Amino acid sequence: MKEEFRGRMLRVHFGEDDKWQGKPLHEAILAKCRELGIAEAIVFRGIEGYGPGSRIRRSGHWSFSKDAPIQLSIIDTEEQIARLIPFLDAMVEEGVVASSAVEAIRYMRP
Amino acid sequence: MLNPGKAVKVGIYVSEGATHHGVPVYSSILDFLFYRGVAGATVTKGIAGFGADHHMHSSSTVEIADRLPLRIEFIETREKVDVLLGKLEELAGTGLIEIQETIVAKPAQVSKPKKPIPPQHLRIEGKAQMMRIFLSEEDRWKNKPLHAALVEAMRANDIAGVTVYRGILGYGAHRRIHKDKPLMASHHGSVMLSAIDTAEKLRAFLPLVEQMVEEGLVVFSDVDIIKYAYRAADGVEQASPASS
Repeated sequence: MKEEFRGRMLRVHFGEDDKWQGKPLHEAILAKCRELGIAEAIVFRGIEGYGPGSRIRRSGHWSFSKDAPIQLSIIDTEEQIARLIPFLDAMVEEGVVASSAVEAIRYMRP
Repeated sequence: MLNPGKAVKVGIYVSEGATHHGVPVYSSILDFLFYRGVAGATVTKGIAGFGADHHMHSSSTVEIADRLPLRIEFIETREKVDVLLGKLEELAGTGLIEIQETIVAKPAQVSKPKKPIPPQHLRIEGKAQMMRIFLSEEDRWKNKPLHAALVEAMRANDIAGVTVYRGILGYGAHRRIHKDKPLMASHHGSVMLSAIDTAEKLRAFLPLVEQMVEEGLVVFSDVDIIKYAYRAADGVEQASPASS
C-alpha cells in the first residue's frame, strides 16, 4: 500500500544537553511529534559541529557523551508541519530550524 | 522488457563454493541481474562436472561437494547484455560465460511494464535531487539488512552516491518507537539513506525501491550539485554535493 503526498521536511538543529521541562529536548520534540501524529521523525547525533552562539559541540568516544550536535528530521504534509511549528518556537531556545519542500511516498504493509 | 523475436541467452558457469567479497558468486550475480532489471534468471546445480582446472567435481566426493558446477542462465536483448557483460565478467571470476543467439517465442508475463534504465554518466552538475529513504534497521530483504541491499541496488544502477545514517531515536511509517541503547548495542534503530542523482535516474530507480521496501517513507527534495569529485583510477566514486 502506498500514499503519495507533497509536504515539508524540517531539520531542527540543537545540542544534546538542551532540555525542555527537565527532559532531553530531542525526546520532548519527538514525543510532541507523536502526539500530533506527525508521519516521520528521526533524531541523529553528530560527531562535531557548532551553531548559534558559536559554541563547539562535540561527542566523545562513547555514544552517551554530552553535548553532541543533534539533528532532528521531521516530515509530513504542510498542514501537519504548520501545527508543529508553534511548539518548536516555544521549545527550541537556541538552535536552527530549516524547512524544505518535499515530495514523499509512504509505504505501508496492508 | 523482452519482446518476441531475436535475443541472446547468457550462460555463466561458476563453482558453488566460489565467493566474491565473501558472498557466493552465484548470489552476487543473481542480485546484480535483479537490480539491473533483467527479465528473469535461473540458477541450476550440476551433479558432476569439471572446469578449467581439470579436476573432476562430483556430489559423491564429500570433500569437494561445495565445488559442484552451477549454471546461471538468463535471456535478454543484445544491447542490454552488452551493457551488463563487463560487470558479469568481473563477478564470474575464473568461470566461463557463453552467449548464444536465441529467439523469444513468448516473453514471460509481467504485471506492469518497467521503464528502461537510463545509461550511466560520470559527471553531474547543477539541478539534481536528493532521495531520502527512512526505514527500520531491522527491515530485511532476502536475509540481508534492507538498507545494505538498497545500497547494493543503487551501486548496481550507478546512482551517484548514497550514505546511510543511523538515528538514535525515531519513529516512522511503522509507528514503532526506535531507541538506540547506550554503547551502540542496538539493532532496532531508525535509519535514513540519503542518495543524490538526477531526478530522472532516481525516478527510474523508484520501482525497485517499491519492490524492496514494504514499510517506510521516501522523500524527494531538489538540490544543486556544486561539486562532484570522481576518482576514476581505482574506480572509487566520490560524491560531494551541496546538501539541502
